[in-house]
Amino acid sequence: MNVIDNFIGGTFALFSDPVGILVFLGGVLGGMLFGAIPGVSMLTLAAILLPFTAHLSAEHGIMLFSVIYCTGVYGGAITAILFNIPGAPENAPTAFDGYPMTQKGQAGKAVGAAVMCSALGGTVSAIVMMVATAPIANWAISAFGPPEIFALVFFGLAVAASVGAKTFWKGWLSILAGLLIAIVGLDPVGGIARYDFGMPYLLAGIHFIPVILGFFAVAEIFVQAEKKVTGSFKAPKVGVAFPSLGELLAHKIAVVRSIIIGFFCGILPGIGATLAAFMGYNEAVRWSKKPEEFGTGKLEGVISSETANNAATGAAMIPLLALGLPGGALTAMMVGVFQMHDMEPGPLVFLTSADLVWVVFAAMFFANLSILLIGYLETRTIINLLKVPFQFLAPLILMLATIGAYAVRGLSVDVVAMFVAGVVGFFLRRSGYSLPGIVLGLILGRIGEQTFAQAMQMLHFEWTGFAGRPIALALIVAGFLTLLSSIYGAFFKKRKTSDA
Amino acid sequence: MKRLKTGHIAEFVLWVAFAALLYSFTYDFDQEIEIYKFGASSWPRVILLLVVVAATGQLLYHLARGNGEKTTFASAADDGSGRTAAEQHHDTPRWYLATFSMLLIPLAYALVPEWIAAALSMDKAGLGTIKTVVALVLLVLFAFAARGNHVGAMLTLPILFAVGLQDFGFYTLAPVFILGVMYLMGERRPGRMLIIAAATYSVLLFLFVSVLYVGLPTGNVHPFYDFGTAMVTLLQ
Repeated sequence: MNVIDNFIGGTFALFSDPVGILVFLGGVLGGMLFGAIPGVSMLTLAAILLPFTAHLSAEHGIMLFSVIYCTGVYGGAITAILFNIPGAPENAPTAFDGYPMTQKGQAGKAVGAAVMCSALGGTVSAIVMMVATAPIANWAISAFGPPEIFALVFFGLAVAASVGAKTFWKGWLSILAGLLIAIVGLDPVGGIARYDFGMPYLLAGIHFIPVILGFFAVAEIFVQAEKKVTGSFKAPKVGVAFPSLGELLAHKIAVVRSIIIGFFCGILPGIGATLAAFMGYNEAVRWSKKPEEFGTGKLEGVISSETANNAATGAAMIPLLALGLPGGALTAMMVGVFQMHDMEPGPLVFLTSADLVWVVFAAMFFANLSILLIGYLETRTIINLLKVPFQFLAPLILMLATIGAYAVRGLSVDVVAMFVAGVVGFFLRRSGYSLPGIVLGLILGRIGEQTFAQAMQMLHFEWTGFAGRPIALALIVAGFLTLLSSIYGAFFKKRKTSDA
Repeated sequence: MKRLKTGHIAEFVLWVAFAALLYSFTYDFDQEIEIYKFGASSWPRVILLLVVVAATGQLLYHLARGNGEKTTFASAADDGSGRTAAEQHHDTPRWYLATFSMLLIPLAYALVPEWIAAALSMDKAGLGTIKTVVALVLLVLFAFAARGNHVGAMLTLPILFAVGLQDFGFYTLAPVFILGVMYLMGERRPGRMLIIAAATYSVLLFLFVSVLYVGLPTGNVHPFYDFGTAMVTLLQ
């Protein structure tokens, strides 16, 4: 009952405060809109807004980001479906079937399915989040020390390496490249400068926002620009036939399966919604009697991916609030919002800022519900965006990214870094590397090294110390098993099928 | 060895060379930390060794399997499969050479004016003039290089814009940049280009400068700085 009381308290606090309502509505609309404009994503909006959250209360700042997270993950599906541009990596599998559906003139149906499934997956996830986060945080206070957090980061990276790139090895190289970028700056133990080459800009470490903007917003524009220049850019066909309830009910097993997968993936730090969407899609293909139909415009593909990625949003808040570990780029920015208000996310937040937590939870619940209503209304407007020629949209997107990168710290070097990251991202994508993998390496690299150093100090530099901590040991073993199975799969498994 | 292509070997060599170079730099910060016996360099070194292992794994994989096939779904969205013949034109060594040469133009802007000013021991105002002249020369060079390589130009133009931001300001460069991107993406109707560029510029400035009070770079070279500050005064 305590959960219900807290939820009612959070809801009342959210909707009795005019500024809170304004921030909530701004987040809902902004997340959807930025998610839905090709080339920019919720990350662009979040990056642009991050410096301004200093003017908001901590409660409103975190709430804004969590609402953008929920609606942005849905909004990204629209561009994935209409333009084959996933708004964020977690929408990539949506494009596999969503875009072929658009080419067949079924864009409305695919978007309608994304609306329904995102709302459903997200709402269920928000409910589980409300019930589970506090007990997990309580448990984490006693059970999770640096060795466990390091082990969790290792496990998360091991799983992330096996999805997202052309080959397993490129997946690992992507993660390692991210870890290398994270090294630039001061080392977390002794404060010794590494790879700064005497430049003050590098001494502060490479900020992840320009890198994220470059990899996702700018690189995407470059890819589309190449298509435009070479004449292979295809304008999508417009259609506004929404799916019937019967069609959606026919896929109820896919929905339930994706909710479960999405939630469990969301809990993993650093991968969250991206892994959720890929696994949701992957399992849909594996369970299907006609797997060959996936990728040609199958509704179930969109449903599986979109349910799973929104189901991960609530779950991703659990490691963030319970352990202080961000589940992806957007939750990493939330850590930034906490820090701007001199707070650290982690188990103590439940004791020191219970009100904040419940307002955020209530906001996430209602944000997911509002996808249903606003999603339907907005979709018709968004479909009109298709009529805007890309050569007019691209400069606007590049300008928004420029302002976003500059606004973080007021440094034009960040804009240079963003565009350089865009060019690097363009070439890496061509070569089959995983840009989300690099970003995850970058975000988790610092946490990984810091917790590793603390763990080793705690264990008196005895490696066997990990064996005495069951959770850490289990996670490390699971990480190695994931690695071994990926290596086995990369060298032998597919070989057999191709030989057969 | 038949399955191994030059590109695969080049990729491997690049990774290993990159790792070796970064490894050599670890000696710069190979200091002991009293409370942490691994010091500041162990973590980077382990990662660099893993880079070599992964690059070797990738090479062996290509040796065994050729160009490889998609092992994950992400690759369907990200790899180069389904590229048209026109797009593949941008995969030739010649294209890479032309594009990487063009990408040196922004680097030249970042270095050359400082060198010239140092050689002529000029003051700040003189440096501004040098920067303007160098920027114009490089812009002409860029326009010339862009003629046959619009994709390469699309990659270079944003960096050129970014390196100029500090000196010439957002307010001056943004309209030029917007028009440039439209042109490179194939738009040739001057009327539409001007109207849409003006609309984009006005909406962005209104939203971010007038409403959200974002302090965009005004530049520091005359007369661009004066224009930038005048715009800020006008908008705020």
